[in-house]
Amino acid sequence: MGALLEYLDQEPWRFLISFGAILFLSLNLAAILTLAERKVAGYIQLRHGPNRVGPRGLLQPAADMVKLFTKENLSPSGSDRWVFLAAPIAMFLPAPLIWLVVPFAPGVVVADLNIALLFFISITSIGALGVIMAGYGSRSNFSLLGALRGAGQLISYEVPLILSLLGVAILAGSLSLVDVVNAQDGGFWNWYFLPQFPMLIAFFVAGIAEVKRIPFDLPEGESEIVGGFMVEYSGMTWAMIQASEFGLMGLMSAVSATLFFGGWQPPLEFLDLGTFNWIWLGLKTALLMFTFLWIRWTLPRLRMDQLMDFGWKVLVPLTIFWLFVTAGAVLAFPSIFG
Amino acid sequence: MKGMVITLKHLFEKKITRQYPEYKRPLPERSRGLLTVDMDRCISCLQCMRVCPDHCISIEMEKRDVDGSGKARPYSVGFMIDDSRCLYCGMCVEVCPVNCIYHTEEYEVQAYDRLELARQFGERPVDPTVDPKPAIKKKKKVAKKAPETVDQRAETVQRAVTERD
Amino acid sequence: MLRDERRPESAALSGRETGRLANPDVRDEFGLETIDMNMGPQHPSMHGLLRLILELDGETIVRCDPIMGYLHRSKEKISENRTYPAVVPITDRIDYLGNMHMEHGYCLAVEDLLDVEVPPRADAIRVLMCELMRLASHTPSIGFLLLELGAFTPILYGFRERERIQDIFEAVTGARMMFHYIRIGGVKADLPEDMPERIWERVESMEANIQRDFVDLIEGNEIFVARTRGVGKMTQEKAIEMGLTGPPLRCTGVDFDVRRDYPYGWYPNVEFDVVTDTEGDAEASYRVRLGEIKQSVRIIKQVLEKLPEGEVMADVSRRVRPPEGEGFGRVESPRGEYAVHVVSDGSDIPYRVHYRTPCTVNMQLLQEIIPGHYLPDVMPIMGIVDPVSGSWDK
Repeated sequence: MGALLEYLDQEPWRFLISFGAILFLSLNLAAILTLAERKVAGYIQLRHGPNRVGPRGLLQPAADMVKLFTKENLSPSGSDRWVFLAAPIAMFLPAPLIWLVVPFAPGVVVADLNIALLFFISITSIGALGVIMAGYGSRSNFSLLGALRGAGQLISYEVPLILSLLGVAILAGSLSLVDVVNAQDGGFWNWYFLPQFPMLIAFFVAGIAEVKRIPFDLPEGESEIVGGFMVEYSGMTWAMIQASEFGLMGLMSAVSATLFFGGWQPPLEFLDLGTFNWIWLGLKTALLMFTFLWIRWTLPRLRMDQLMDFGWKVLVPLTIFWLFVTAGAVLAFPSIFG
Repeated sequence: MKGMVITLKHLFEKKITRQYPEYKRPLPERSRGLLTVDMDRCISCLQCMRVCPDHCISIEMEKRDVDGSGKARPYSVGFMIDDSRCLYCGMCVEVCPVNCIYHTEEYEVQAYDRLELARQFGERPVDPTVDPKPAIKKKKKVAKKAPETVDQRAETVQRAVTERD
Repeated sequence: MLRDERRPESAALSGRETGRLANPDVRDEFGLETIDMNMGPQHPSMHGLLRLILELDGETIVRCDPIMGYLHRSKEKISENRTYPAVVPITDRIDYLGNMHMEHGYCLAVEDLLDVEVPPRADAIRVLMCELMRLASHTPSIGFLLLELGAFTPILYGFRERERIQDIFEAVTGARMMFHYIRIGGVKADLPEDMPERIWERVESMEANIQRDFVDLIEGNEIFVARTRGVGKMTQEKAIEMGLTGPPLRCTGVDFDVRRDYPYGWYPNVEFDVVTDTEGDAEASYRVRLGEIKQSVRIIKQVLEKLPEGEVMADVSRRVRPPEGEGFGRVESPRGEYAVHVVSDGSDIPYRVHYRTPCTVNMQLLQEIIPGHYLPDVMPIMGIVDPVSGSWDK
């Protein structure tokens, strides 16, 4: 038994098994999030969420999966078949890929890249490409509008997303997520959300925009262009797009937790759990996901020009300014921030 | 920001949904549910059939001696209420002189075929696909004369004036 | 609708101007075209079944043609085949969010025809029911406005208030939605014994709920303000020219309310203010509706205090057979001025009933005001009108 585990710990097997586990994690997270969203929505709106299937509605994702598997995959006539079908896959890809570089516990990370932040930024851009493919591939005016809005929104909000990461990179001194988490040890006063609070806000808001949640869900504007870029999808293809949205949401929460809230670091020294520190990561991710949902069910959505104004005229100057402040602080007080 | 705090507080409040099949709330006394007929009291006056706006009550009347007194009385041999047409307006209940048709508190009506929703209360089933003719006798005028509108009045006046001149 | 039949596009559009397409050099050089888009009858936020044919230049709307008629149920024709009392359930179903007013308008018209005096207690109960109906209609309306802006929660709070008022209606009339309560000559039956106390408590708790859930949640919200301020701005002259009534008219500043200017029923005996706002945009219509909710609460409290004794139904025979003539009744429904014109030819059955529903007229707003705005602005502008599908299609 021990020899088998040692054999599997070698390179190709370790990666393949871990990737399979990550894929499993990502898809399940998306499924659980569908239930969580509906339950939280219900509780905020003074009603029970789904509570018929299974105890307290816990088997609802299973029922949803069964339904979606058995639905017909329609596509509009005249739509570009390859682009239409490739789009959901392109949208889903970033989620499991970035989970590969997130550290779960000290020493437990699937791929310890030393340019993990760069990897994160580049892979999230594939999601934007997926949206445009979806909108273009379905030959429909609504989808086209959704895709154009999506293109504008996603590409513009990548700028504050990137800029807000740079402060963390300066403070940690490296682009690797493992180093970022290790630099936040000691207690919750060492976590980066304190010195980098505006960057946290900018990252979180840009994260909401990247995931296309309310208040930034114009590409998918449910009230105006019912479904936007995904209006022509049904059945399993639609399930894939939903999985991508929720999966990316979970991912953004996890990355925010890693960058700004210490990843798997416990808030106080003595609560350290060794390899079970992924529980701390899980708790922080869950709280951030709850914040995503809470914001979704409270606020209305922004209009396109207001959205772009907010991104370019508010978030970008804020992040650039704080970047200067951070760099200045590191140069001036190398003992504290070095 | 204040809005977010409000929704967060709502998160922890008691839910206001009533879980329907387990809990059925007590209906007030005036609730207008399904109609039902007490056939023992019906005197077959056909008032409910006449007053129903949607013609959903169909009655077949015969003169029959039911209580052994030797006199033939009107008797509803077929009484049908068509739930697929009923408006629950309550006009038949108000107009019945012996209070034999009344609302119950039922409201759960389902059927796979619309014709199954026609409930029969009498002996002989009445065909629900036949629309009972309204018992109101519309006075058949040759041409329905509308009252004079302002323009028509002006025209008649004008004509009268020119004729006089 | 053929392209040629539409109005020529006007360069001076209210709101923002579409500079690019109005400039012929730019248009011809780049080969720019507009997209024709159909916000079709099946749509989550069309308040029913409305079809909007939009011509878009990017995100800006150049032309908007509303096509109504998907819910036409020929109520006016049906009314020509029923006796006078049997028309009342039909009027219930015209505006299904504000039913009491519909019944009230028709009954006023027939009472005008018959020259019948309604007893004062019946008048007071009618006012009470109509104002409760206004409360029950405005709270979901505000919710609908926000639903289309993307906030999915306030509508459920609005429906919670409406459900509680519907509980009161059920105890009084017997039905939750299609009441058939206001009859020709009065109301159907008196209020039950404990009803005045229940209404009083319900209305007081509603004030607190509305303050918390609608005012606090919404007014400070920057996103709501950014989405509705300046959207759909109308001037007073334009509003009067389009023939608007109700909250769309009052939000521009025109001081007109049927309850005060053409009083009917028991309204001369209650004191209330007519709520107006000067801005004329979507946020102003929201504030007008909120103000009307507060005024309705005030009216309800006054009616409950001064409820007269007496009978609730005038001496009208069951077979209503009015003399030849015309009758006219107008009321202030939550959406605007609602009027009924009844023409009788002396028989049991009306010769013609015409319903002047407010939404049919207020929908002109969409064609006049929307061009020049962005596509997401269609929603707050529909929130100004607050249409109910049965009301514009009858």
